[in-house]
Amino acid sequence: MTMLQQTSSRDDVSMIQFVGVNKSYGSFQALVDINAEVRKGEVVVVCGPSGSGKSTLIRTVNRLEEIQSGSLLFEGQDVHAKMGGSALNHLRSRIGFVFQSFNLFPHLSVLDNVILSPVKVNGVKRGEARDMALRLLDRVGLSNKAQDYPAQLSGGQQQRVAIARALAMKPPAMLFDEPTSALDPEMVGEVLSVMRSLASDGMTMMCVTHEMNFARDVADRVWFMDAGRVLETAAPDEFFRSPKHPRAQRFLSDLRAR
Amino acid sequence: MALLQNMIGIVEDNWLLLLVGQYPNGPLGGIAATMILSVLGIGLAFPLSVLMALARISPWAALRWPVTAIVYLVRGVPLLLIILWVYFLLPLLIGTNVPGFVTMVVTLVIYEGAFLSEVVRAGIKALPKGQMDAARALGHSHLGAMRYVILPQALFNMIPSIISQFVSTIKETTLGYIINVPELTFAAGQVNNRLLTKPFEVYFILAIAYFVVCWTLTSLANLLERRITARRARIADSGAEAGGVAAASAGVSRA
Repeated sequence: MTMLQQTSSRDDVSMIQFVGVNKSYGSFQALVDINAEVRKGEVVVVCGPSGSGKSTLIRTVNRLEEIQSGSLLFEGQDVHAKMGGSALNHLRSRIGFVFQSFNLFPHLSVLDNVILSPVKVNGVKRGEARDMALRLLDRVGLSNKAQDYPAQLSGGQQQRVAIARALAMKPPAMLFDEPTSALDPEMVGEVLSVMRSLASDGMTMMCVTHEMNFARDVADRVWFMDAGRVLETAAPDEFFRSPKHPRAQRFLSDLRAR
Repeated sequence: MALLQNMIGIVEDNWLLLLVGQYPNGPLGGIAATMILSVLGIGLAFPLSVLMALARISPWAALRWPVTAIVYLVRGVPLLLIILWVYFLLPLLIGTNVPGFVTMVVTLVIYEGAFLSEVVRAGIKALPKGQMDAARALGHSHLGAMRYVILPQALFNMIPSIISQFVSTIKETTLGYIINVPELTFAAGQVNNRLLTKPFEVYFILAIAYFVVCWTLTSLANLLERRITARRARIADSGAEAGGVAAASAGVSRA
């Protein structure tokens, strides 16, 4: 059994699977019949024009947004099935989520931001959580900021703390919702380089981003969305060289024109 | 000038009564009783108000509706009426006499609890939605998120409002007069009844006493408010510095 899991550990095991997912706000349909899959160890970049449903899509994965029909499997478990609160909390704790606006807890130090959830949600001992948090902060290059408060950090530093905070829950997959869109341009690189190193360690990642270089270099698949639909899923070199869908062609030529 | 001398004379003769009432020969009264009533009232109302606020924003309708109804009821009725209700109904309900002091504390807790719960609720609502999202995404339960993430921030931001509410409470204790709670106004009434000829002086002293206490606390609230506002601006700055350029950098492509 263990052998089997190991040999099949990459690329052919489904991590996140959308099966006929629909979501609407009143009469506005935000997601239309989404069928797509993120496999274990894969990095998927979701791109598309604003308002196309990218953020809504990624927020359905840990059920920050509800869906109206279809199902969404995380490691085979139906995220949107009827379940008790604690089952949902447990599920969410296993899905790392990084927000556009960082959402660090401003009343807690950097270290406590990272420690809080392992201790209170997973019951990790404080000393143990502290050691792990310091290792993670070191990994994102911020071990010297452990005692600072979020307000004392730059945007790029705050986002790196947010990544460390999500990693502290030891999630098998990480979701990024436009992680660099709220950053000053000169801070984008430091966040992307943390994400690159995560990807190279084999982390399963789903990223909504406008960083096309990141998509080209790091992604295994690119999903292109427009008007609530995933119109195209392709390997990045294929997607950037010869996008199939006319809407994707227009999107890419608009980006190049800028 | 004569007025001032009269007032000084009245204070010199009655300062102990105004300060502690007839204590130790009778019940504690005066400013001491006023302050104890206020501190007990707001101190017990505060935890109640947090629970009521949590109920009012809870995802469970069975909690939300009854508490919302209570808050609307209490806010829509004069404090004096609640005092009378508690004064006449509480002894019937529990079958024994209730001292005026206890009646007043119970009333203040009900009344201030309802008002403070609105303050707490506003403080929670004022936090960015992303805080709750982030806490839930990390796996915290609704109540866990409230306890570790939302309430510590909301309550800190609310400290000035809570002090303001405390000042209101101090002024509201004067209504204890009508059910013979021996607080400061009651003590002043006793002095006035004894002197008979100097009501203006007596009630001027009373006004000054309330003013000094309330003004001091209000100033403290204002000072804290300025500090907290500055602190929140700093926090918002560091977030918005990020948010402000979102539009600019979102489009920056390297395709």
